[in-house]
Amino acid sequence: MGAFAAYTIIGLGLGGIFSLAALGIVLIYRTTGVLNFAHGAMGMFSTFVAWQVFYGWSHPFWPTWLATLLAVLAGLIFAAVMGLFLEFAVFRWVRTREPVVKAVITIGVLLALQSAASLIWKNNQYHLPIYLAPQQATFQLAGVPIGANYIVIVIMALGLAFGLGAFLRYTSFGRSMRAVSDSPTSASLWGVPVNKVSAVSWMLGSLVAALAGILITPFINFDTTSLTLLIIDALAAALIGGLVSLPLTVLGGFLLGLLETYPTIWIQSLGFPRLVALLVIIAVLIMRNPRGFAVASK
Amino acid sequence: MTMLRVRDMTVRFGGIVALDGVSLDLNRGEILGMIGPNGAGKTTLFNCISGVIRPDHGSILFETNDLTYAPPHRRAQLGIARTFQNLQLWGSMTVQENLMVPMDALGRRNTFSDALYLPFSAYAERASSERARAILHVLDLGRYARTLAGDLPAGIQRRVEIARALAMRPKLLLLDEPAAGLDAQETAHLAELLHAVRERFHVSMLLVDHDMSLVMRVCDFVYVLDFGKLLARGRPAAIRNDPKVVAAYLGEESKKLTGDVMTVAAARKEEPPLLEVDRLAAGYGGLEVIRDVTLSVRPGEVVACIGANGAGKTTTLRAISGMIHPRAGHVVFAGRDVTGSPAERITKLGLVHIPEGRGLFPTISVEDTLRLVSNSAGHEVDIAPAFQLFPRLRERRRQLVGTLSGGEQQMVALARAILSEPRLVMIDEMSQGLAPTVVRQLFEIVRVFREQGIAVLLVEQFVESALDVADRAYVFEHGTIALSGPAVELRSDRTLVTGSYLGTAADASTIAAANGNGHHIDPALMEVMSVRVPAKVKRALEQRAENEGRPAGAVVVELLGKVDDQ
Amino acid sequence: MTSRLMFRVLAALVAFTVLARIPVGFDVGFKFDSALAVIWAFGLLSLVLLTGYVGQISLCQATFAGVGAYATGLMVAGFHTDYLVAVGVGVAAAFTLGVIVGIPALRLRGITLAIVTLGIALVFDRYVFQDHAFEWFTGGTAGWRVDRATMFGLQMDSSKHLMSAYIVLLALFCVVALLMVNLHDSGAGRRLRAIRDSELSAATMGVNLTRYKLLAFGMSAAIAGLGGSFYPLVAGSVSPQPFWLFTSLQFAAIAVLMGVRYVPAAALGGVFMAVVPDVLTRFGHGTFMGHAYEISYDWFQIAVGVLLIVQLIALPDGVWGDLRARVRHARSAAGAIGGRKVKVA
Repeated sequence: MGAFAAYTIIGLGLGGIFSLAALGIVLIYRTTGVLNFAHGAMGMFSTFVAWQVFYGWSHPFWPTWLATLLAVLAGLIFAAVMGLFLEFAVFRWVRTREPVVKAVITIGVLLALQSAASLIWKNNQYHLPIYLAPQQATFQLAGVPIGANYIVIVIMALGLAFGLGAFLRYTSFGRSMRAVSDSPTSASLWGVPVNKVSAVSWMLGSLVAALAGILITPFINFDTTSLTLLIIDALAAALIGGLVSLPLTVLGGFLLGLLETYPTIWIQSLGFPRLVALLVIIAVLIMRNPRGFAVASK
Repeated sequence: MTMLRVRDMTVRFGGIVALDGVSLDLNRGEILGMIGPNGAGKTTLFNCISGVIRPDHGSILFETNDLTYAPPHRRAQLGIARTFQNLQLWGSMTVQENLMVPMDALGRRNTFSDALYLPFSAYAERASSERARAILHVLDLGRYARTLAGDLPAGIQRRVEIARALAMRPKLLLLDEPAAGLDAQETAHLAELLHAVRERFHVSMLLVDHDMSLVMRVCDFVYVLDFGKLLARGRPAAIRNDPKVVAAYLGEESKKLTGDVMTVAAARKEEPPLLEVDRLAAGYGGLEVIRDVTLSVRPGEVVACIGANGAGKTTTLRAISGMIHPRAGHVVFAGRDVTGSPAERITKLGLVHIPEGRGLFPTISVEDTLRLVSNSAGHEVDIAPAFQLFPRLRERRRQLVGTLSGGEQQMVALARAILSEPRLVMIDEMSQGLAPTVVRQLFEIVRVFREQGIAVLLVEQFVESALDVADRAYVFEHGTIALSGPAVELRSDRTLVTGSYLGTAADASTIAAANGNGHHIDPALMEVMSVRVPAKVKRALEQRAENEGRPAGAVVVELLGKVDDQ
Repeated sequence: MTSRLMFRVLAALVAFTVLARIPVGFDVGFKFDSALAVIWAFGLLSLVLLTGYVGQISLCQATFAGVGAYATGLMVAGFHTDYLVAVGVGVAAAFTLGVIVGIPALRLRGITLAIVTLGIALVFDRYVFQDHAFEWFTGGTAGWRVDRATMFGLQMDSSKHLMSAYIVLLALFCVVALLMVNLHDSGAGRRLRAIRDSELSAATMGVNLTRYKLLAFGMSAAIAGLGGSFYPLVAGSVSPQPFWLFTSLQFAAIAVLMGVRYVPAAALGGVFMAVVPDVLTRFGHGTFMGHAYEISYDWFQIAVGVLLIVQLIALPDGVWGDLRARVRHARSAAGAIGGRKVKVA
């Protein structure tokens, strides 16, 4: 029983990670209509910028909190600029193309960011993460110690899900974002400033990716690939939310975290959880499309 | 003899019952019409019969086969072909290839023998292409054989869809709104074509359309659906007078306009124009679609643009509202030169453009959609007036726009136009794909616009209704304006209303300007296609054609005569 | 035999004769690159069939190649069979996996299919190819070593017989490419393309979707697997690295970049994928104006990413497709045939 409780708590922590990563994917999909395979890579790159500030450029006499603050700020500012840049340089030009083309273009972004990061920061090196909460601070729950950083992740995931959800739903700007993602041409006929709205959407998406990246790195191998590859678990969680609902996405993240953790009681394997994620994806997709083949879904 | 027997068909999507126990019988050689308001379940029934969706309950019997759970391709093999309301041609393939797919999908051909180009495949290939060309010739589509289907205008694509369905040698043809987007004369030709197809190909048909002139002209029997249920069935003449049908679908004849409109129009003549378009030219890619278009709309005036398909009406509206960039000329709106300005800026000046397809957002709720008006208004807008005007939208305020019926979607688009308090509303094909009752309601709304002093620029296929409501009209031809004048005068021009004048656009040599007229029938070739040709005969025919230096088609006719005699 | 078929056979023969002579006289490294180029070209060709013809997205083509490679390695190193038999087994294994992957594809398309195939690539990359539970198949962390193999009863040594392996690969590629071009214009090819343009109308016009989609996935996987199953012979061993997720993503990126609808684009892409990074790492270092510099493999992948973005924005039909359209346009303008659009091949 004790072991089960421990696994549950580990699973929920993992779920928080997945939720956080998935939220950004859903946000970008809902506001721009792009399924962003490069989401993990974008988060990874911004996190490395923060890492660079914290471990590379910070002055040894700065207190840790200041260095952390500056590092996180640098990461977020970089993320915002990168989001804007990607919108200006890439996604603006393919706005009216089919969803598949837009998704393939994000693969190009993924490959470029991934290799650029590995060029700058080297792939094989183990990098130390940035801790937002003190690393040693733990709480006891059902006899299991929980790191304060886990709690930050879970709170952040829930906060972002409901905050962003409310923003999209109840604010005028949020409505405009959804309109642009449905049809940029129609949106401009309705007087929506399409360029401005999609620039903000990408900036926001990139910010969420960076935030997730910075929060997640203490718990995974922090190198150039692992954050990028977190995309598949994140996509599984996002699909549970139907790529639309932010709260359901978080729920999906926790569910997936548990599903991936429990089998490790019996199966010791680093790769096995990926199989769980894949099965979840297939199950969700088939369940969502029950009636034969989709009728002219585009 | 009953060919198709549909029993107790029920389909539910989530909580919505799309079809509720509908039964239907179709006899061999019959053309059966199906009408009903938007969202009544007609297309759903089509999808059930062609196997695209599975019913929750009920059965489908075709000849002696139970098809209820058969996959679509099996139904095709048994002889059920269909066309699609939202054209589903294979756009990156040529028209001829489009016809060849159903032909050899039903034959016994093998992927590996095809890849190796074995003699059998090579032979079958030649036979299919010959037959495809024959069908195209019959339907007067021969000159498009090598054009990519996706490059054709919608009117031609609709005919290619029928040709493709006929290439399957079907016993039953399902036609989903074949007259959508066709003008009066084209529709008349279509009716002729359908009759000929039945005579020559011995094909039974099930036809869904909103164009009552077509349904009345070709159908032997009519079924009326409403809210997923069978409302009535009977001979066309009886259906036309059935009070239930009139109430639910056809609607009462609208009263003709009285003289007061004329006086209003006359009074406004003095005011400076709200919209002035001067020698406008625009197009797509390498193609110039409109040139030298000059028109004006005065405040509070209703102006109609009429003309054949592809004459440039839609392109003109798009160039005015900033959806596409004009290549030459000027657009002046409310005293400002807005040529080439982005659409969002023009919208803010008080010009609302409702494009074809209504330009809505499928995944946003009705309420939130209407709140989007604040973008063009510049302040939060009270959406309550929209619900007063359209009580039906109030019921559906939380529903996603994509799940509404076509008529309700058009209501959302018009409600938005009213909320944003515009000076000019441009509406493109307002009535396309909508039931007659809904169309009447919508034209009433146009009158409301006029009463509120809002100018309206209307592009409309239903020339008569458009001229009823309009003050003035422009007639488009070959991408420019051929004629203009007060609506009353144009209305008295019968050739215009019946479409024979508009039909002249068919002479245009460019594809873009062609409107899809002229379904000429060649009886001899029709005969060729209605008979299944044994391979032996085909081979002999090709030999002969080569030896005699004649087109194969001519030899086919001769040879088939002999085969039939045996 | 029609003149068109004659022309194609002739073109394939000429291509084979010319390409077969190119690596002669170069060092072992370049001969290895040439053989690798053909292996990658098979991977890209498999996407021409699956994505270009049938319109199904796949981000796991390297997985199919990897399964082919491992199955071949298992047969040769584990059971000591003749190499050709092993290739047969490798192709069959890839075909089977392809059909299995095709099953969810019956219900999915577009982006959702991309997600599922990405998941499959990741599962094989991180789990099957690396986990001890599958050591019987992957030969453990060391992988299968294929120093010596027999082919047609002849001894093949991976380092000394690179040239003969290249010739065999090239011949196979020319044959498969020829079949693919034939398939495009044939009845079966039209059915496949009909699925790409509109599944809905393809089904209602008599195309058996289940059969053709599974067949397309199976054939595509078999083509990728055919290339992959020669990898052990060329490289001397099998390891997970060449068939990991990023190779699959590169396959997709380069196939689209070069023109996913065109068979010759696959050959072009194969050369690009094998030769460019090697040339970069081999000659891309030295000193320039007193500064030492080194161009690493990462630059290649950055270039692929950026080129893909530029291509998707500017040349939607890919490099080959654009070149083709330009040549045809110039020709038709010169011959005054008219501005009619040409159909794709």
